[in-house]
Amino acid sequence: MTRLNSNQVIALLLALLSVGYLAMAWQIPSFPLPRPIDSDLFPKVLGFTLLGLSVLLFLEKPKAQDVPDELDPEEQRLPLLLRPWSRVAVTAVALAVYALILVPVGFVLSSVALVFGLAAYYGYRRHWVNLATALGVVLGLYLTMTRIMGVYLPTGVLPI
Amino acid sequence: MEAFNNLMYGFSIALEPINILYVFAGVFAGTIIGMLPGLGPISALALMIPLTFGMEPSSGLILMAGVYYGAIFGGSTSSILLNAPGVAGTVATSFDGYPMAKQGMAGKALAIAAYASFIGGTVSIIFLMMVAPLLGRVAVSFGPAEYFSLMVLGLTAVVSLSDKSLVKGLIAAVVGVMISIMGIDLQTGTERFTFGTVHLLDGIEFLVVALGIFALAEVFYMLLKGGGGKEQPRNAIGSLKLSKQEIKQIAPPIGRSSILGFFTGVLPGAGATIGSFLGYSMEKRLAKDGDTFGKGNIKGVAAPESANNAACTGSFVPLLTLGVPGSGSTAVLLGALLVMGVSPGPAMLVDRPDVFWGVVASMYLGNIFLLVLNLPLIPLIAKILDLPRPLLLSLILIFCMIGVYGMSFSVFDLLLLLGFGLLGLGMRLFGFPAAPLILALILGDIMEESMRRALQISGGDWSIFIDKPISMWLLIIAALSLTLPLIKRVMARRSV
Repeated sequence: MTRLNSNQVIALLLALLSVGYLAMAWQIPSFPLPRPIDSDLFPKVLGFTLLGLSVLLFLEKPKAQDVPDELDPEEQRLPLLLRPWSRVAVTAVALAVYALILVPVGFVLSSVALVFGLAAYYGYRRHWVNLATALGVVLGLYLTMTRIMGVYLPTGVLPI
Repeated sequence: MEAFNNLMYGFSIALEPINILYVFAGVFAGTIIGMLPGLGPISALALMIPLTFGMEPSSGLILMAGVYYGAIFGGSTSSILLNAPGVAGTVATSFDGYPMAKQGMAGKALAIAAYASFIGGTVSIIFLMMVAPLLGRVAVSFGPAEYFSLMVLGLTAVVSLSDKSLVKGLIAAVVGVMISIMGIDLQTGTERFTFGTVHLLDGIEFLVVALGIFALAEVFYMLLKGGGGKEQPRNAIGSLKLSKQEIKQIAPPIGRSSILGFFTGVLPGAGATIGSFLGYSMEKRLAKDGDTFGKGNIKGVAAPESANNAACTGSFVPLLTLGVPGSGSTAVLLGALLVMGVSPGPAMLVDRPDVFWGVVASMYLGNIFLLVLNLPLIPLIAKILDLPRPLLLSLILIFCMIGVYGMSFSVFDLLLLLGFGLLGLGMRLFGFPAAPLILALILGDIMEESMRRALQISGGDWSIFIDKPISMWLLIIAALSLTLPLIKRVMARRSV
């Protein structure tokens, strides 16, 4: 069996998505009063269009720009946690954790931890400069938003 | 005379001290963000939107417009010094700007870019003043059918003019529309695609998608491509002075490319990028020393720089007069305006002249600020390029997170932002253009509303879209814009 190319894999995923979308579009309830077009028509058109486009994508050969470039082989030899994809994964996890602790821990502490921690993880070794920048920017943002723009930001464990 | 009076009225708004401050802050922030490799005007605009919360619409748009043309202006600096354009619209500038920098003439290239951008920007504001009210008068006669067709044209044009696959562009546009119609249908009160969660009843905020798909995805991409610790060496700047001979040489290309750039910007789908490439290739063809283009010809810096700034101003014409953006950047601007409670369109010229003329007048000021910023201060501002990349990336991340949280106060939206960041990375890696998605996201629900209103008027008869001549022609052009790339490909195959 020949291997599917990247366009064909994406096309299959999109086709699945469009089938799911169409199934949901059919469940949209109709409006009690008769109207020329109801809430479900536009989504149905979109679902079928996406399905048709997935078929076209399945048939389209990927060009150079449709395939991710090779990653730097030197970087691939780094310890697992420092490799390119690990950097993306660690950052994504850090952002998810940040979102979840923002309210209980507070904006200032969680944001300083995020900026300082990620910059250090990406390889910035001047820790005092890093900490001063993180504190300065985060406090600046906090004061601008809460005191000048009147936007509430969670205080969390800090009394400010 | 009427235009002059209106402009004076605009100046009375733009010259209010707070608005002068906003123009300056906008162009300064835009210049810096545009200068950073990878972060384009869309990211710059999306990052700045949270600052406009609660602002007067005219002030908000003055700030955002400044960010937009400031970003285009700033992009030239990294193009010239690093050969790493911060903005797609300044890629053509690097063709001759970077070779000039390598020859020790970076200062000269930056000065030419500053003068050309200033003239391109200023000339196009004059055109904007003349063309926009005329188009506004025509647009008053537009009904829902015409608006629907115009939006279809806007989307197809953006898809067909992107340098990526047509099918992938269309998929991005369809997904954008799908996202835009999530939530409660305002016409019937029916819930659509909310997955039973209250967080999606109002749909997904466009800022979440814009910051995710552009800024966050860009950070992820830089991390993947080794953006962690590596710094790029940049060329020294040197003297900024131009000789009389050099000024004479660049004057005609600047004039021609300014006009070409403006009209390219007005067209839906074509923007600063296409304008700059057209300007560059036109001058290369016209020049007697065309063979030196790409090796450090000063005209090769002047032409794309004047064209991209002129195109940037030109793209305000469809946004402000029709209320229909023609590019990803102006789509984000429209989103910002909608957040501020202003719906641009033909009525805006009458109902909110302060917004329209205030912005036009502020552009004159902004261009002067840019010239002042970019000439004497450029060696200083260019130091931003030396900012350690790890620190920069983590700061961009926090700006994205706080931008979204400050708008919605929702942890759910922060997680959505992360999801869109990963989606944007995937789109980038597999060749899906992001601009059609963001444009479709902004236009999607307005498009559906126009379609439904048109069909209500016609009693459900779909021929209303072709019975109205303007609507019919817009749809024909939309269809042509999609078939043109296919025809070109067939012709290219035949000629091989």
